[in-house]
Amino acid sequence: MTTVLAACVAVFVTVSVYLMLSRELKSVAMGVFALGHGANLAILAMSGSPVLPGGGLRNPPILGAEHLVDALPQALILTAIVINFAVMGFLLSLLIVTARRTGTLNVDELAGEDRLTPGTGGDRR
Amino acid sequence: MTNDLLGLLVAIPLGSAVASVAMVGRPIHQRVLGMTSMLVMLGLALTWLVRIRDGQVMVSQMGGWRAPFGITLVFDSLSGLLLCAGLVVAIGCTVHGWSMVDPLTERRYFHPLVQLLMMGVNQSFLTGDLFNLFVSFEIVLMASYGLLSIGHTRQQMAQAYKYLLLNLVGSTVFVITAGLVYGMTGTLNIADLARMVAERSEAGVPLPTGFAGLSVLLLVVFGLKGAFFPLWFWLPDTYHTSPVPIAALFSGLLTKVGVYAVLRTFPLVFAVGDAREVVLPLLAVSAGFTMFLGVLGAVSQHRVRRILAIHVISQVGYMVFGISLMTAAGLAGALYYMIQHMMVKSSLFLCCGVMEYHAGSDDLDEIGGLARRHRWLATAFLVAALSLVGLPPLSGFFGKLVIIREGWTTHWWLSALGLATGALTLLSMLKIWTLAFWRPESALPAAGRQTIGRTGRLRGAHAGIAILVATALFVGLAAEPIYDIAFHAGQQLVDPTAYVEAVDPLRLDVAAGTGGDR
Repeated sequence: MTTVLAACVAVFVTVSVYLMLSRELKSVAMGVFALGHGANLAILAMSGSPVLPGGGLRNPPILGAEHLVDALPQALILTAIVINFAVMGFLLSLLIVTARRTGTLNVDELAGEDRLTPGTGGDRR
Repeated sequence: MTNDLLGLLVAIPLGSAVASVAMVGRPIHQRVLGMTSMLVMLGLALTWLVRIRDGQVMVSQMGGWRAPFGITLVFDSLSGLLLCAGLVVAIGCTVHGWSMVDPLTERRYFHPLVQLLMMGVNQSFLTGDLFNLFVSFEIVLMASYGLLSIGHTRQQMAQAYKYLLLNLVGSTVFVITAGLVYGMTGTLNIADLARMVAERSEAGVPLPTGFAGLSVLLLVVFGLKGAFFPLWFWLPDTYHTSPVPIAALFSGLLTKVGVYAVLRTFPLVFAVGDAREVVLPLLAVSAGFTMFLGVLGAVSQHRVRRILAIHVISQVGYMVFGISLMTAAGLAGALYYMIQHMMVKSSLFLCCGVMEYHAGSDDLDEIGGLARRHRWLATAFLVAALSLVGLPPLSGFFGKLVIIREGWTTHWWLSALGLATGALTLLSMLKIWTLAFWRPESALPAAGRQTIGRTGRLRGAHAGIAILVATALFVGLAAEPIYDIAFHAGQQLVDPTAYVEAVDPLRLDVAAGTGGDR
């Protein structure tokens, strides 16, 4: 099972790195989504029973939990999903605003337009 | 010492942020609410800081669940000092913002976002749990993304992406690392981790394979937030484009949260045992490059904002230097330096805002004559600039003194580099001073002369600068009591017994394999 999960993580990370190297902000955003999913799977893959200094296995912190899976990593994943979702909402809305204002989502074009109007970053001008 | 009111430092800014959203369109209400909330928090933090001045640790376990199951908030000397400093910076920048933030922006979401930012910053200083640290980082980042793109100018948006995407990748790596830490050790509570690591290294039991790798991963994450040597590239552009009060707030708080995370987790957990030999040289080399390359970048710049922004990096180098020594005095020096730097750097940014307002530009080629026209601005700038350089009665001196003297025995080359950096800092600050303040108006190009006498309703802006410069002076003149508290913090980081005993995480290993007695 761990091997399958690890392979999935590898696929997600590979895809996300490929997407993030793109010059198109849409693809970069998709790459970040994929990386988030990869991270969640990585936590899941790591959530087996950790080995203690004495050599015994550490049980999940639930009473009488011999036959249960440790719920904490899943709580972590849930939190991470929620946060990821919020961040993505923000990122996508920023993309929409940028596309409306500038008509492009290409990194080079966005940067190029800056160079035409240097020093416009001030708040009082 | 239990203090269940610690949660207030997170709850108050959250509440006032929500209430402030309801007051959109009524800036005066928002100002009063925001200022009240921050003053109350500062009052609470100062009171508690006085109560723990002998090195006690206050702990609050959320919902009464004992660590490592519940969420733990810890208020010790380290968190206390940084909380107070962070709140003072926020107060100064907000007051400055009253007159310097674009009114249209201010009447909408400026105040709620600042409150949210403070919520995240307070929580990351207070939390005693690695995953909770990630959550508070996210709160800080969400608020700062909002503040960064608030004006919607084209350049701001292009820069916001750089900051946003880099930090998203950083956060994702942080989640993965947190998951790996849990997988290897079964806990994310910092006190629990610290105890486990300490007991293992005492008993000679090796840490789990790959633990040093986790340390390095975390160093990358925190280094990205704190702008350490190879990971600083996002910083100058980001701070350069945002409105001045926001840039000042960021320079005072954001990188410091990253440095704080290193200061909290590395001496306790991630630079102990085998990881120590891996992490400490990395930190030392990174500190050297951060200090020196940062200041070289600043010397070569010709715009005030860029000089100040790149200086943030160089100053972070001193803090990393202090941390890389891993002695009580070195860590205390780093902490003291952080506190003074928060005040000084923010006030310099605020001064830069007023300079821009009067001179119409921040390009040193185009401005001048400010000393004659604006005496108090010049005084405030000079005090802050010389504190940054580290002239003796001012605050920067004591921080640098402790770090450089402490580092002399182990890393004399870093100390020498630190001294050289100080000299170059003086050079770049004097460049601003001679050109912007001392140069006679008659030497200016025509464009600059038009706005030089412009006056406006800048009372808030001046008050904000005054608050921060006065605090910076106080930090310098009252160096000893503050350094005493910082030294307690340093001692507790080197020997975490008091911290672990205060949090008192349940021992799960006793119950290992038996399933009972939990």
